[in-house]
Amino acid sequence: MSDDIHKRAESLLTASRVEGISPSERGWLKAHLQDCARCAEHAATLERAVAMLRSIPVPLDRALVEATRFRVRLRAHELREERVRMLGLWISCGLSWALGVLSAPLVWQELEWVGERTAIPRPAWMMAFVIWWVLPAVVIAAVLIWRREPAAPRSRHPATLAR
Amino acid sequence: MEQDTQVIARGLRRRDPEILDQLIERYQYRLFRYLIYMVGNQETAEDLFQETWVRVLERGRQYDGKSKFESWLFTIARHLVIDSQRRRQPRFLDLLDAESDAQPPTIVQDQPSALERVAQRETSEWVGAAMAGLPASYREVLVLRFQEEMALEEISEVVGAPLSTVKARLYRGLEALRQFLGGAQA
Repeated sequence: MSDDIHKRAESLLTASRVEGISPSERGWLKAHLQDCARCAEHAATLERAVAMLRSIPVPLDRALVEATRFRVRLRAHELREERVRMLGLWISCGLSWALGVLSAPLVWQELEWVGERTAIPRPAWMMAFVIWWVLPAVVIAAVLIWRREPAAPRSRHPATLAR
Repeated sequence: MEQDTQVIARGLRRRDPEILDQLIERYQYRLFRYLIYMVGNQETAEDLFQETWVRVLERGRQYDGKSKFESWLFTIARHLVIDSQRRRQPRFLDLLDAESDAQPPTIVQDQPSALERVAQRETSEWVGAAMAGLPASYREVLVLRFQEEMALEEISEVVGAPLSTVKARLYRGLEALRQFLGGAQA
């Protein structure tokens, strides 16, 4: 038998494990394996390799699973609390924005009046108006940055996490 | 299957701890096995195990329920493995994404690793040693295909590589394992 035939058989053996082969290829391979001891040995080794790959146990510590569950629940609780806090923040933002829009004409008139009375240059009191307008957003951004908390510590044991 | 994934997606959107508990119970062994084969270190695998489930909780809204949950889970785990290993070994990502047009890898038995330590039986020891000697990119597809029994398309989705690359890695990885076993028996 030529080397090409053995190579084809070996290639089909691996292909059958990876992506499958056609019925005609399967038939050819079966017939070849009955006649060729070398390829039959190749097939048996491959079969053992896959079987061993499937049979290997990986020990998983039950404490790790429990600690993971605890950590996930803790994080879920944190996320819920954070959501409530964020909701409050967004409501405040909305109110602040609405009040800002409603009071803008009044504030503009007041600043203009103060500017005229005190001879403050027009760009200066206009800048004051801009600062008044963006101040709530700056404060909210500062609060968001300040409230960002570090990630929960990793631990295998719930008791350690709870401390 | 579709209904099951929709239930999971709904639960994850609500960040329902009960669903998370069930998912941890269902996928604990498969996820841990993937992690231990990918990082080869018990302690790191344990850290990543916890990290993966926390990430599932945090990013749960991104799971749409259209694909299998395990594909999404392993994709998250894979990203965490890459981040973790890149900190320890900057070239890890290159190894994981290595092109498969190179020669088939040859398994070299090195110092006993965590993979070998977790192996308790003779066959397990052999698989542990063989897998530890394989490049990460080959190890990954072998685990997903033959241990997790994922379809080639699912593996392609998890590893973010074309189907042809996945197949090539499987061919070469399997051949390396067969040669290792053949050599061990000789």
